[in-house]
Amino acid sequence: MPDVSFETVLRELRASAPQAPAQLRERVRGLPEPHVRAFGFRRRPALAAAAAIAIAVALGAAAIQGYKGSSDRRRDSLGAEVEQQRAPTPKGASVSPSFKDAFGKSSDRGRSLLSPLIPGSRLQHYDVSMSARVEDLSSATKSAVRTTRRLGGYVSGADYSADQRAGDSRLDLRVPVPHIQQAIASFTELGTILSQRISVADLQRTVDRIDQRRLAARAVVSELEAKQRRIGLTPAEQARLSRARRTVTRLSRSRANLVAEGTYAKVSLRLTTGKPAAKHAEPGRFDRFWGDAGDILGKEAIIVLYALVVAGPFVLLAALALLAERARRRRADSRLLEEVA
Amino acid sequence: MSAVPTSWPTGRQGLRERRSFASVAEEHLDDVYRYLLYVTGNPHLAEDLAAATFERALNRWRRFDPRRGSARTWLCQLARGIALDHFRAEQRRRRREDAYAAEAPASDEATFGEGLSPALEAAVRSLSAAEREVVVLRIVLELDGETTASVLGIRPSAVSTRLSRALQKLEERMVSDARR
Repeated sequence: MPDVSFETVLRELRASAPQAPAQLRERVRGLPEPHVRAFGFRRRPALAAAAAIAIAVALGAAAIQGYKGSSDRRRDSLGAEVEQQRAPTPKGASVSPSFKDAFGKSSDRGRSLLSPLIPGSRLQHYDVSMSARVEDLSSATKSAVRTTRRLGGYVSGADYSADQRAGDSRLDLRVPVPHIQQAIASFTELGTILSQRISVADLQRTVDRIDQRRLAARAVVSELEAKQRRIGLTPAEQARLSRARRTVTRLSRSRANLVAEGTYAKVSLRLTTGKPAAKHAEPGRFDRFWGDAGDILGKEAIIVLYALVVAGPFVLLAALALLAERARRRRADSRLLEEVA
Repeated sequence: MSAVPTSWPTGRQGLRERRSFASVAEEHLDDVYRYLLYVTGNPHLAEDLAAATFERALNRWRRFDPRRGSARTWLCQLARGIALDHFRAEQRRRRREDAYAAEAPASDEATFGEGLSPALEAAVRSLSAAEREVVVLRIVLELDGETTASVLGIRPSAVSTRLSRALQKLEERMVSDARR
């Protein structure tokens, strides 16, 4: 058996390792130094940077939206209250100023905001509904009645109920429109305003329309009466005269009603000693910020998820095809090297 | 003995002290040549392919990342790609011409090293390129199993299997030659 030691073979192979020929060494030494670009494109860092930028943009958008949303909502809520109180209200519309929420309990502020509602030359109907929490129900109710009477108004209805623990009183008041501002200011001082609603309806246009129709009807009456005095009327003309007189009467009555409606403001005042129901906690700016930012992040996550769901199968197929191609190429390389002697 | 340091700086240090292409080429020229010589079994072809390997390395030098592997591993991977390209081209040419003119030198010529015994030389020659490839990487260049696997694109266990099969064939060939 010949002596073929495994160690000897390894040692021999290592010891006899060939050296590169001098000619090759010279060729390699003759290669220039590679040109290094200062800002070369590198795929991996570029991909990492792109991913970081995408995440930063997503988070930035969420943060901006959160900040913007929280500011806008605050401004909107405050602005809406002010606008509601300042803007002239069309017929049938109502305003719900909440003096306490927006401006504390300052009646001066309430008075100044109410000023545009005070009638000028136009005939308007005021419907005011207020509710206030008071310490002493009896004296507050008496004070409200006294104020109404002092301003020239009257009590059209009252409902008073009280026991040892709590009580309620409901007053239906009629206050002359020129003094409604003073009345509201006085009622605001009775206690803590719980709710307040002012509805203003413009009656002037209706009155003007009635006046025009009444004028026309009167003209017809005058014309027919003159003719009656001169030559007499046919039965048809007499019927027409009667209709015109009825119209004048009906329109005059309507006008009087409207004027009466515009003379006194209707005030429903509810006074209570009960504690108010727990107010729904309005989320703070910080909470609104996180809420809005969370919404945007949620939407972004949905978009990414949607893209993944749609593109996922294709990406998976492409990855599988790539892996299969690599495996095939590796097998082909191995076969090729096995064939080379 | 080369004066160039054999260890390649890694990580941040590597980025700071990136060595020149020339020093890396000088340091690993022999390794690349040996690898290609074993794979091709032809000194002239190995020389040409080694030169081509360094030209490709020069063009791709910017892509080389020392954190992902040593320069020697990277150069061996490039050399393998060059060799495979050559073999594929040869295969296509052979199919086209239907006649393969082997460029292998005469069998009595020392190909795999001047000091190699004729028996071992013949035994190495009898191996396939794939077997010689794993022998040169694991035995001659003394790469570890993991690095060899990354050069060949296979698992380390496959490297061990292939190496043990190649060594067994070497042994068998040498024993049979010694008996004759």
